[in-house]
Amino acid sequence: MNRDIVEQVFQEYAALREPDADPELKAVRAAILLEDVFEVTFPDAEIDPAVFADPAAVAALIACLRGTA
Amino acid sequence: MCGICGIVSYAGLPDLALLRRMTGRLAHRGPDGNGWYRDRHVALGHTRLAIIDTAGGAQPLCNEDGSVWVTFNGEIFNYVELGEELRRRGHTFRSASDTEVIVHAWEEWAEECFSRFNGQWALALWDRRAQRLVLSRDRLGVRPLFFIRRSGSLLFASEVKAIFADPSVERAFDLTGLGQTFTYWSPVAPRTVFHGIEQLEPGHYAVLDRDGFRKAPFWRITFPERGREPVQDARQNARALRERIIEAARLRFLRSDVPVGAYLSGGLDSAVTAAVISRYTDVPLHTFSLRFSDSEFDEGQYQKQMSAMLGTQHQDIVINASDIAAVFPEVVRHAETPVLRAAPAPLFLLSKLVRQNGYKVVVTGEGADEVLAGYDLFREARVRLFWAREPGSEKRSRAAELLYPWMTRSPGRMPAFARAFFGRHLDPADPALSHRPRWDSTSVITAMLSGDMLDGIGSAAAEDVVAAMPPGSEDWDPLSRAQWLEMTTLLAGYILSSQGDRMLMANSVEGRFPFLDRDVVDFANALPARHKLFGLEEKYLLKRAFADLVPEDIIYRPKQPYRAPDAASFFAGRSPAWFGEVTSERAVAAAGVFKPSLVAGLLAKCRRTGGENMSNTDNMRVLAVVSTQLTYESFIAGGGRGMPDPPLSSPSVAVDLVTDDRSAP
Repeated sequence: MNRDIVEQVFQEYAALREPDADPELKAVRAAILLEDVFEVTFPDAEIDPAVFADPAAVAALIACLRGTA
Repeated sequence: MCGICGIVSYAGLPDLALLRRMTGRLAHRGPDGNGWYRDRHVALGHTRLAIIDTAGGAQPLCNEDGSVWVTFNGEIFNYVELGEELRRRGHTFRSASDTEVIVHAWEEWAEECFSRFNGQWALALWDRRAQRLVLSRDRLGVRPLFFIRRSGSLLFASEVKAIFADPSVERAFDLTGLGQTFTYWSPVAPRTVFHGIEQLEPGHYAVLDRDGFRKAPFWRITFPERGREPVQDARQNARALRERIIEAARLRFLRSDVPVGAYLSGGLDSAVTAAVISRYTDVPLHTFSLRFSDSEFDEGQYQKQMSAMLGTQHQDIVINASDIAAVFPEVVRHAETPVLRAAPAPLFLLSKLVRQNGYKVVVTGEGADEVLAGYDLFREARVRLFWAREPGSEKRSRAAELLYPWMTRSPGRMPAFARAFFGRHLDPADPALSHRPRWDSTSVITAMLSGDMLDGIGSAAAEDVVAAMPPGSEDWDPLSRAQWLEMTTLLAGYILSSQGDRMLMANSVEGRFPFLDRDVVDFANALPARHKLFGLEEKYLLKRAFADLVPEDIIYRPKQPYRAPDAASFFAGRSPAWFGEVTSERAVAAAGVFKPSLVAGLLAKCRRTGGENMSNTDNMRVLAVVSTQLTYESFIAGGGRGMPDPPLSSPSVAVDLVTDDRSAP
């Protein structure tokens, strides 16, 4: 999966409506998407609203989990 | 849209009187005319719902020299383009109908012709020279085609009731077919719920000649390996999807010589089809909707919004529980199979409204949920897969709370129950991980079966479909595997049949489904899974593609599946007169499917509650019992002697090569 797709997915995700008021559920929803698209498994500690608030940090985390960092 | 039937007999003359009885039983599918053809080995019957070339186009119909005959139910939407190509190749046409394209296409391309058809069909071709019958059914099973094989003969028909016009056909339940119904919601082709009666698998053709009977696929449901989808760009794919859906809707709206209406459910799919027709054609649009007096099921607000926005001439019908109960026996007689939901009944009443308004064709949004991943089941599977990666994770288990936001008792409000329910059988390696919760919760019906029935059904039924998954499917995206299972089981067996063709044709109305267009399906199947289900956002690409034509309120409303009152239909008020009789201990024992004592207990519980607030399982149990009993009473009890043989009008085609012996081949 190339960098263009990573950026595209982040843009598309940012454009989605966010129906969850509960911050943890919001993080779970984001993790479901990102794990599916990038074929990674986040440690529980990273499924966190603070982590998913920063696209650059998430990109770095995904790269790390995929062994491409 | 029409009804077709026929008899092939290599041992003796086909019985014309039987063919006419078979044809009569299909009169509701084609009230505009009927016809027949017979030679020494075959008899073909047809009832016609005249839609294309209403003046010509009567059937059965033959090629230039009468060596190929066809009886055909459905539409070949690209018949204009195919006709032009066939004319260039020297074929001479006598009509402007799509039916005539079939015989010339068969002459030109033989069995290769089916992959060139873009449409919805069930047909039988008789090649006199080869003395060969060919049956064919469209890719996804929009149109039905049943048959029974016997030594030296075969009977086929659009509906089983026509095959039962032959008193020598055995009438008994097929235990595997019933077992599949009580797991997958319907039998899976080639099974039916009747012993000895088969249905042709969607996307297949079958040949019967003196060498015997054989079948082959001309198309398969398939998906690319995950990561190898041809186009990864969502914007590009959204544009391409839009073009294909517009073309599919235009073909289905304009290729008709009678006016075409449209359903508006209040959801995204029918909103897209209606909006496309409105935007891209000049024809005034008449829309029809189903409403419910019970607000839990009603979507009237969204239907009115869409209709007002498009400026359609709109009509709706409001259904209450007693309406469903009143027509339910008739619904089962048309469905010809047990159904686990009452949902077909309102659709039967809706098609009646369409017909009463002078329409005999409607375009609907059927198929979008399967093709573009709209069902909650797909979201559920993604949640379960997410959870299965760390089954002990508290945080991951919360994902179940994101499911079914439309339900009164949604997982978000009952998280402990949701975790217990969705957490079962969390095996990421299971190719049917997506469908286990549904199959498990449905198959609790089998706990009510009589001992003999339970022994007969065994446990093999549930594994048939999984074992039939194509080689290479292990490399598909999990969503693709779930879509394959859904298209193979529920789409053909229930959505397009018990909720589709049968409820429409019961009132002589043809349904047309742009989302099941050949080019739409092939394109959608090749999309990256994330373009269909983006995280938990269902039908993501469809929403992007038509964001300018459908209001945001409809695009972004939580997905609400079409549902109707189930057990409450029979218990909310006074139960209908027929109900006590078909569910009596005597009747249940006579049918032999369910244990009478368990049925009595279930019905007593319903009486206490008025059928309200029943669990999903109990609702399904009630519907399984009632519809199975009605199926038994209509088709099996007393050898089916109570089934009427409606009279036929004079045939518009009557060709008998037995008495008029021009049958040289």
